[in-house]
Parts: sequence; structure tokens; C-alpha cells
Amino acid sequence: MSGGALAFMAISWTFVLGLTAWSFAKLLT
Amino acid sequence: MSSSNSGSNEAWGSRIGLILAMAGNAVGLGNFLRFPRQAAANGGGSYMIAYFIALLLLGIPLMWIEWGVGRNGGRYRKGHLPGMFAALWKHPAAKYVGVVGLVVPMGVMIYYTYIESWTLAFAIFSATKDYWGQTTQEGMLGYLRSFQGLTPEGGTQYHASYTPYAFFTGTLLINIWVLSKGVSGGIEKLAKIGMPVLFLFAIVLAGVVLTLPAQPGVGATPAQGLEFIYAPDFSRLGSPGIWLAAAGQIFFTLSVGMGSLQAYASYLSTKDDIALNGIATAATNETAEVVLGGSIAIPAAVTFFGVAGAMQIAQGGSFDLGFATMPVVFQQIDKTLPIGNLLGVMWFGLLFFAGITSSVAMLTPITAFFREEFGFKRETVAWILGGICFAVGLLHVTWLGHGFLDEWDYWVGTFGLVLVAITEVIIFVWIFKPDNAWKSIHMGADINIPKIFKFIMTYVTPLYLLIILTWWGKDEALPILLNQRSAGSSTPVSDVDMPYITISRVILVLFAIVFLFFIRTAWKRNGYDDRKGFAEIDTNRAEV
Repeated sequence: MSGGALAFMAISWTFVLGLTAWSFAKLLT
Repeated sequence: MSSSNSGSNEAWGSRIGLILAMAGNAVGLGNFLRFPRQAAANGGGSYMIAYFIALLLLGIPLMWIEWGVGRNGGRYRKGHLPGMFAALWKHPAAKYVGVVGLVVPMGVMIYYTYIESWTLAFAIFSATKDYWGQTTQEGMLGYLRSFQGLTPEGGTQYHASYTPYAFFTGTLLINIWVLSKGVSGGIEKLAKIGMPVLFLFAIVLAGVVLTLPAQPGVGATPAQGLEFIYAPDFSRLGSPGIWLAAAGQIFFTLSVGMGSLQAYASYLSTKDDIALNGIATAATNETAEVVLGGSIAIPAAVTFFGVAGAMQIAQGGSFDLGFATMPVVFQQIDKTLPIGNLLGVMWFGLLFFAGITSSVAMLTPITAFFREEFGFKRETVAWILGGICFAVGLLHVTWLGHGFLDEWDYWVGTFGLVLVAITEVIIFVWIFKPDNAWKSIHMGADINIPKIFKFIMTYVTPLYLLIILTWWGKDEALPILLNQRSAGSSTPVSDVDMPYITISRVILVLFAIVFLFFIRTAWKRNGYDDRKGFAEIDTNRAEV
């Protein structure tokens, strides 16, 4: 996997999973 | 003037139930079939830039606007757009403008349930290994076309002619049964079962696909499949096409512009949060789409067909990828790991749950309209609507090959969504005033939305929508309306298909006329005064 693709995937997943984790943590705690 | 309706005392049972139902409404077939194909075909990583910008400028603001429109409607016991618009804009035209919020979900629900029935059928075909032996893309396409009743003359017929009708009927019955049980007893219970199962199946499938070894004779790996989705092609960023494709995908994936999200939000009180709930719903949907949806179909297709083969499959459309390519993949996996049919059940099972949690939402605003304005019983409305959906749905099953479904998919499932969205943004943000809209969204809020979003909702989101509407109107709506091209392809409508296309349009226009008649009747029957609005009901009726 090329560096560019890996970077885009890492940014996309971090953003989405981070937003989900933050919102559910906020919901629960 | 006060409302004389008997109303519907629907309410959510719990906050997690509400979020799962809202996420279920948003997570649909598009998350797993449309998104990966769109990303792969539109410049990979560059598409993802346009996608996330559209999410921030269009998707998330629209989510908050729709939750706000819905919850505000709930203050007057209005779970439908004609009532919600009339509550925000005290003008005689407001209720009639809201007719789009009844025609769009009704139209989409009918053909969406038919497509949903394919997933139920293929889950059963996977369990029984009915398509086992069709180990090539062409073979599986023949099997799929046979199920759809589209086998060309002389082609092999694998199914009885009644098969698609039987599955459509069964799927519709399940939908209507859930709907008849109400918001808490039906929709919320379905979401509490369906959504965890969907995520479990998706995680297992993504895990299996991403750990597949390179296949002999192909040499490609799942990592190359991910590269296919994420490798940036920066030259594409200058093309308006990828920005429109990304905005369109954000629209479809969040289920905005449908009227269903607003109906769900109408069962909340002003003490309930919608700001955090809205962002949690959007984030859950994006996890299902980007992390899980992007990790199954395309990486699997690349692993077994190579990059060139997957590219060719992606050109064939989302359904070919989901219903032909994936079954071939499961049979290939079965040669080394004898769980191929179980993976098939999980794949089509997750698509079924993604579909049904969306389709039950689509009839909610229409059910609310007849219950709130005419005092009908929930079960009565559900089964009458089910009868209408069944009668019209039979035309979709029978005339699938004549572009009947494609026509509806364009007018109500694509263009109609943008029309609803731009209408509600104008009414909620501009006519109701930005300050009032902002305050309304923050009532009972558990988070403070950054002020920049007030500017985005007021200026950027409507401008974005206007650009999409104008572009699509010029490039697609006019040519389709003038029959210069068909809704499902770039070729003109054939003489054979023309009568079917005409009938499909006539039915949609009839839907609009009938709903306009019912809106007028409801307002006269209940003695509403357009200039005074509705009397507020007890806003604490639905604590969550």
C-alpha cells in the first residue's frame, strides 16, 4: 500500500472513529 | 387555533434506542454498496477530501437542521413536513410545500423495499447454497438476472417466476408489521436488535476480507483493494464531478431530505438533547460507511479479480458488486475455509438489517400524518399504507427491466431529496430566522455547537444545495424529463420503455395530488388558522 493511500486511510479512519468515540463518550459520561 | 386531532402519543423508550433507530435510518444499502464503488470510481483519496468537506458543510448541518425541524414540529404534535413547515412559517403555502415530505418517503419506500427483498432472498440462497456452482461473475450475473425476472430469451432460468414477488411480499409484510407496532414497540425494538447484529456481521466480514491471502493466479491483496479506495489522484480535485458525487453520497448516506429523520425527532421534547444525538448519529453512520463499508466489497473484489477486474466490476454498478461479485468471493473463500455460505448469510443479512431499519423510517411521517390529522389508529394506517405499497410495488417488480424503478430512483430518490433539503433550510434557517433556528437546536443540548456552524447553516449549506440542484437540474433532470436520456443510463429512452416511464411519472404526480388533497382536507377538518399556527402541546411528553 502506498504512503499516500495509507495516509488518507489513516486520516479518514481517525476522524470517523474519533468523532464516534467522542460523541458516545459524551453521551455516556 | 387549537388542534382538534386525536394525535399520536408515540415516544422513544430510551436514548440509546433513539440513537440506534436514527443510525438505523441513516445506515442503509448505500453504506456498503454505493460508497466503496463511488470512492473507487472518483479518484480515491481525492474523493475522500471532497467527501469529508461535504460531510462538514452539508451533512452534519443538515442533520442538525432536520432534528431541529422535527423536534419543533413535535411541540405541536406534528410528525410530518406539512405540519412542521406550517409551524415554522405561518403562511397558507407552507403546508402545501411540505407535500414533498410525504411524496418522497412514500415513493422511495416502495422501491427500496423491493431492493431490500433481494437481500432477504440472497441471504436464504446463501444459507441453502442455492447459487453454489455459479463461480464466475458472468454466471452470478445470470443468476441475479434470473431472480429479477430479466433473463434474456434463451438464457437459463434458475428461479420460478413468482420468486421475486414472494420475497417482495414477505419483506413488505415484515416492514408493515414493525410499523404497526409503533415507535417504541416496533421501530426501536428492531433497531436495538438489527443495529448490533449489523455491526457484528460487518466487523466479522471486514476481518475475514482484510486478512485474506493473495490468490493464486491473481496476485492482488486486500491492501491493494484499500489502496484502490484511498490512493489520492489530485488531478481529479479540479473536476466538479467528484464534488457533486461526494455531496450526493453524503446526502444518501445520512438519509437527509427524506422526512423520516424529522418524524423520528418529533417524538422528543424541548428538554431532550438533539445537538449531541445528531452528531452521534452521523458519526455512527460514518463508521459503518467509511471504516466497515470501505473494508468489505472492494478489497474482496480486488483480491479475487485483481485491480483491473475490480475496476470493470465497479463500472457495472453497485448491485452487480453486491449481488454477483460477493457471492463469487464467498464461493472462492469456501474452497479453503468452509464458511462461505455463512459469510454469504452475514453479508446479505447485514444488508437486510441496513435496509429494513431505513425503510420502516420512511413510512413514519406518512403514518404520523394520518394519525395526527385524521385520528386513525396506528395499525389501520400501517396496513392501508402497506396495501398501497404492495399494489404499486408489484409494478416495480414486473417492470424492473423497463426503467420503471430507475425513474423513481431519480425523481424521488435523488432530485427529490435535494428539493426537500433546500426547502427546509430556507424555511427553518431563513424564514424562521437564523437566531431562532440556532436557539431551537440548542434547547436541552448536551454540547455547545461551535458558532461557525451557525454561519455554515445560514450561508454555506443553502449555497451548496443550490449549486447541486442547479447542476443536477441542468445535467440530469432536464435531459431525463425531456427523454433525451433515461434515468438509469446515458442512453435515450427506447420506444418500448416509453409507456412504462410515462406510467411511473403519472403515479408520482398522482401521489402528489392525493397528498395535497389530504393536506387541504386535514387543515379544513381541524380548523387550523394558517396565520396563527398551532397550539403548543405538553412538550415534556417524551422524556428520553
